[in-house]
Amino acid sequence: MTDDVTLMRAVHDMWEALDPVPVDLADRVLFTLALEDVEFELMRLQESLAPVGARGPETAATMTFAAESLTVMVTVSDAGPRQRRIDGWIAPGAALRVELRTARGVQETVADADGRFAFAALPTGLMQIMIHPTAGAAVPLHRSVATPPVQL
Amino acid sequence: MTSTASGDTGVTVPSWELAAREFAAWRAGDPDALDRLVRVLTPVLWHVVRAYGLDRESAEDVVQTTWLALVRNVESVRDPQAVMRWATTTARREAWRMSRAGKREDAAEPETLDTAMPPVDGPDAAVLAADTARMLWQHFAALPERCRRLLRVIAFDDRPDYATLSAELGVPVGSIGPTRGRCLDKLRGRLAADPDWSGRRD
Repeated sequence: MTDDVTLMRAVHDMWEALDPVPVDLADRVLFTLALEDVEFELMRLQESLAPVGARGPETAATMTFAAESLTVMVTVSDAGPRQRRIDGWIAPGAALRVELRTARGVQETVADADGRFAFAALPTGLMQIMIHPTAGAAVPLHRSVATPPVQL
Repeated sequence: MTSTASGDTGVTVPSWELAAREFAAWRAGDPDALDRLVRVLTPVLWHVVRAYGLDRESAEDVVQTTWLALVRNVESVRDPQAVMRWATTTARREAWRMSRAGKREDAAEPETLDTAMPPVDGPDAAVLAADTARMLWQHFAALPERCRRLLRVIAFDDRPDYATLSAELGVPVGSIGPTRGRCLDKLRGRLAADPDWSGRRD
């Protein structure tokens, strides 16, 4: 007969083998916690379309993130060796200030009135997009929203 | 159960105690302690959240949200000893809420689990662990949902908050211990009747 402690240990090990924690989840949590101001709304990943086929110049992945008052669709494509490009689309369309953070630092841009924005020549690795309340934008945000960190 | 063997002494330290230590160090001003705290508790939160049947993306959202809540409300964790319970309770509440809102999959189906198994030609230890896991799964999967969830939560969080568990499982606080015992007995009975289980080498 197996005692309770041994049996619970076996259940523990079974789940570790069958449903392992995503390898970079702790890194992604730490990437988010590194933000100085944590008073933002964390967006949820709504949909993720992985690249089809092998890696190549045509490789692209599209993700949609949702906050209470807006969604953002992000397409990641290759822009050369170990370089990525991001094309984003905020809906409803609004000229909001967009910040993108990678391990190398922060870049900033403002979306056009249709909500479109882009970042070129990004390093591979983790990135996170933040959208900030912006004076005069068609969508009034009461606080910043941020995507969860994503591997480029 | 939820524990890590410490390299120098061979003594096993429970996760809640490791978490308490790192949380206290972080609050005392050691910024690297937060890194260690996240690495200790994130796997625990993952398994606790997945026990509610959320798909992987939703489970990751809950884990991120839980950490943000902890950092925002750090003052409300007065006793470092309670940090793991604070985090797992927050995560379970959110996972429970989302699972009822319909963000769930049948997370624990062997078909979907097969893809997560190590390759059969992997190292011996991994193959043995995978074989044992698969064998155990055949019997675990036959348990009622309440048992599967309770045992998975307790396997990773050996000091769960009984009040929230009792609300989620629909049993009185005093029945959780006995329910856990009955669930383990059912599993033990099924394993005892399986000659492959008693004959396995590990």
